[in-house]
Amino acid sequence: MALNENEKINEIDVNELDCRDTLTFWEKFGNIFRSKSIWMLHYCTGCGAMELPPTMTSRFDMERIGMAPMATPRQADVLLITGYLSVKTLRRIIYTYEQMQNPKYVVGFGSCTLNGGVYYDSYAVISRLDYYLPVDLYIAGCMPRPEAVMSGFKKLMDMIKKGEALGWKRYQKYYDWYKKNQVRALGEVYVKDEFHE
Amino acid sequence: MALNTLILFILLGGLVTYFVSKVNNKAGAWLTVIISLVALFYVYSLKDSSGEVFNVFNYGNYSLNLVTSNYAWFFSIVMVLVYSMVSFFNPYWMEKVIHPSAYNLFYLLSLGGTLGVFYAKDFLTLFIFWELVVWSSMFIIPLGKSRRASVVYYGISTIGSFAMLYAILMLNVKYGTFDIQSNIQNMSSDPKFAVLFFFLIVMAGLTKLGIFPFYTWLPIAHGNAPHTFSPVLSGGLVKMGGFVAFLMTAVLPTSKVFANHVQIINNPYENYILMILGAISIIIGTLMAIKQDDAKKLIAYSTVSNSGYILIGLAMVDQTGFAGGMMHVFNHAMASGAMFLSFAAVAYRTGTTKISELGGLIKRMPVTFTAYLVAIISLAGIPPMSGFASKWLIYQGLLRKGNMFIAFAAFFGSVGSFMYVFRPLAGAFLGQLSPKHKEIKEVPFWMQLPMLIMSGLTILYGVYPGLMLKYIAKIQETIGLTPLQIDGTKILTPNGMWDSWIVTLVFTIGFIIAAVIYFVLPKAKSVDLMDTYTGGEFIYDPDKYHYSSNYYAPFERLYKNHPSVEKFYDAIALRFHEFGLLVKTWFFNENPAFTVFWISLVMTAIIMWGDKI
Amino acid sequence: MSTFFLAVALLLLAFFWQITLSGIQRKVTARIHRRVGSPWYQNFIDLFKAWSKSSISHGFIYDFGVLMALGGTIATLIFVPAGNLIVFKNLDNFFVIVYLLAIGSLGMAMSAVGSGNPWASIGVMRALTQMLGYELPYIMTVFGIIYANKTASIHAIAEAQQTMGIMGWNMFRMPLGVIVGFISLMGMLGKKPFDTPIAPAEIASGPLVEYGGKHLGMLMLQHEFATFVEVGLFVNLFMGGGTIITFLIKYFVVYMLATMIASVVARFKIDQLVTFYYKVPLALAFIQTAIIIFTGLGVSIWL
Repeated sequence: MALNENEKINEIDVNELDCRDTLTFWEKFGNIFRSKSIWMLHYCTGCGAMELPPTMTSRFDMERIGMAPMATPRQADVLLITGYLSVKTLRRIIYTYEQMQNPKYVVGFGSCTLNGGVYYDSYAVISRLDYYLPVDLYIAGCMPRPEAVMSGFKKLMDMIKKGEALGWKRYQKYYDWYKKNQVRALGEVYVKDEFHE
Repeated sequence: MALNTLILFILLGGLVTYFVSKVNNKAGAWLTVIISLVALFYVYSLKDSSGEVFNVFNYGNYSLNLVTSNYAWFFSIVMVLVYSMVSFFNPYWMEKVIHPSAYNLFYLLSLGGTLGVFYAKDFLTLFIFWELVVWSSMFIIPLGKSRRASVVYYGISTIGSFAMLYAILMLNVKYGTFDIQSNIQNMSSDPKFAVLFFFLIVMAGLTKLGIFPFYTWLPIAHGNAPHTFSPVLSGGLVKMGGFVAFLMTAVLPTSKVFANHVQIINNPYENYILMILGAISIIIGTLMAIKQDDAKKLIAYSTVSNSGYILIGLAMVDQTGFAGGMMHVFNHAMASGAMFLSFAAVAYRTGTTKISELGGLIKRMPVTFTAYLVAIISLAGIPPMSGFASKWLIYQGLLRKGNMFIAFAAFFGSVGSFMYVFRPLAGAFLGQLSPKHKEIKEVPFWMQLPMLIMSGLTILYGVYPGLMLKYIAKIQETIGLTPLQIDGTKILTPNGMWDSWIVTLVFTIGFIIAAVIYFVLPKAKSVDLMDTYTGGEFIYDPDKYHYSSNYYAPFERLYKNHPSVEKFYDAIALRFHEFGLLVKTWFFNENPAFTVFWISLVMTAIIMWGDKI
Repeated sequence: MSTFFLAVALLLLAFFWQITLSGIQRKVTARIHRRVGSPWYQNFIDLFKAWSKSSISHGFIYDFGVLMALGGTIATLIFVPAGNLIVFKNLDNFFVIVYLLAIGSLGMAMSAVGSGNPWASIGVMRALTQMLGYELPYIMTVFGIIYANKTASIHAIAEAQQTMGIMGWNMFRMPLGVIVGFISLMGMLGKKPFDTPIAPAEIASGPLVEYGGKHLGMLMLQHEFATFVEVGLFVNLFMGGGTIITFLIKYFVVYMLATMIASVVARFKIDQLVTFYYKVPLALAFIQTAIIIFTGLGVSIWL
């Protein structure tokens, strides 16, 4: 459920408490490779998915900066939240994110992930992604054009190289906080069987 | 103890076991273990003996004799090994078999019978012991699941037995002797006459081996026999057919006797027919095994396929292919025995051998899994297990002669075997563990032991195939073929060589390199089997999440409407039944009209032509 | 001792050469798609990145299978002659190489199914079915070659072609055979249209579905080594071996040709794939082998 005004989330500024100085030599070394080879998960959630095919194919050619689509979260490095995220999808996104291998990054597309966008008062859509998942980078726009997406990815690569994209460490460190927010958004889930909640 | 005493000891031991089992099942079953182990050790001591004659029975002009020879030893040691290994399972199955004491009795009777078959000096002895085995195994099979199985088994065995009996008696009429060696010498001096007897006697071998038109009993009998007897049927008794085929192709030696006959791609047509039948069996066995959901039926069809390899190898009667066929007798006995035993172990704990009802057993039964894994690697012919050596030798032989169609079947069976052996591995041992099998344990030690010994032998002869091939080379020398060249661990053939030791060594080094990479890199986090990628969906039921039924559905679709020899047999049976009904209607009808008809017919005949009769 | 150094040299050669080629192959595909494509060293980065990540394990067989896959493939690689770089002179028997390669496949299949993911099982099922498709035409063609040369040793076959000059290569003497060999090679490499087992969009990359981190990296390495074995075999069997330089040039040509074809075609369904292999290449292979065995053409005489 989207957040009520009177039920404010107890915000902590997670960005302040970065874990950057704990980088070891091997992590710094690995970051050089990680920044040049980013495999993204082919999991499209919102309308931003439409912008990815032109980004991948001939016109903008994502592969030239070393990015490639991958089929499963186990293989992928970056999770793209391409636009609005309904509560039902959020549950799956969290499951998928937790199946990814460290280090892993999250990129939020468009204004919906920033503040809800046009769905800011919807009952079924969450309005701020970084309450639930540690977002490393937002790409603004409604939707961002492929140029913006490419430039966003370049920025992400720089961040990884410098060791600034440490969302996954944040998620480990503030796991309780994220879990609390997630549970709050999802409410209680009644599971009947594989196909019905 | 002499050989005849040993057979008598086993047969009498069977009777003793019967009465002991009446009192105490378990004690009787352990007695079968002891007796078959005694047989194993005694038969092993006959290794270098040859030409020793033992008398079994005398009656008038006829005497039943046994003679030792190195090929008889080879077959019998394989057989006794399978029997003694499988017998360890007997004590644990006593409560599941319907008549435990009868089971123990027939188990030992068939063991004694097989020894008699292999060491027989004359055809009469061979036939008598042959029938002893057929009958005693026929009574064991219905102790499992189905009575129809033993009818099919006996029905098809009869075809072979009667063909052989006819040939034996005809040979006796013509040459006045039952002795195998002198008969064979007589036959080889008269090749035209020999062709008929060659096929008649070989037919007995083909029915036992489960070659193409006679293979239908294998899946039925193997699939329905008691779980402990299936390994004996597949690993042991089938090889009796191999022995008869060996007698006819190699001891005769067909390559020399039939040398002047029509040659098809460098083989006398008699041998080529056998090879074609073997090739058809390989293809049918492979395709049918891929389809099976019951693991025992799957292994039974794989037996059909592997019997094809044995027959091809033996029918080649040359330096390399023949040695491969002989070695495959042992390899298949070990591999298929171990596969059946591991599924007997699975059935012991879970009560089923249906692949689609099992899954994830590796966590619960690691030893059984290991035995199965080693067996299938050998069966699929992958180095460094022993199955590779024999298949490689068969390929070399086929290549040398340029038998491309047979070779096609051999390769088809080999690649196809990856498919069918993997299905039980994936469906029963790997994948999700069903909640109803959460609690099961590994089988007791005495059941693990035979499986481990069989795996050990498979690995041993995979790394040092020379140990066995040297003996086979000796057999080749005995029957007048060019022996296989072996130099330490190297096997030399005209088309190239193979050094099993270096291959194993290199494989070990490769494995070590991989292991070093693995352990240098960061340690992996262990997660549950249900924590897998599901496309974001939540799955709670391991049974539904296990892919094991209809495993090769897209491939099976391609040959769904295949012609089948079973349907042909069924049609024949139906025609016979209809003919019987016809006779019954016309001659044995209760309706008086028919009686009146026949009487009037006879009367008419007498009146019309009575004077001429 | 020299055997040891030769083996190490061959491994290093295969490692650097094949991974570079994989990068170039991505570039070539990209150029055909009118893209820029990744740099040639991209696959090294991918590999090391995969190794640097954390990973999960689904149990003993999941790890063991990966080791078996990589170990088996490394072992196979050592037996493949690369030009005049031959580690074991008389042990490069065709069947040993083909069956040793199966250890790698079996290990990977076991490990994948051991992960408990049904998608992996489906992928393995497809891979094994595909294997039944491509192996038979290939082996039947090679059967003809071995029969003609009276030896199953790969380097002996390569040398026999090399001594007869360029027109003595099996690809010119056995034109049907080389077509079959090439189609089968595409299947072995798992290139389109034969990439059914790892179809990412249908079954989430099949056997690889559960792998991440070092497991994935090791399997990538295994795939590269297996590619070296397969292409190397093709070059030795059909195009002569030659020195190490000519071997690598031929290798490059074959691999790039396969890549170019793969980049413009779509994917077969698995039953279509088997039917295709049994209709066209198998028939051609039979014709080729029958010609060799029954007429002797293509062995010593030229048409």
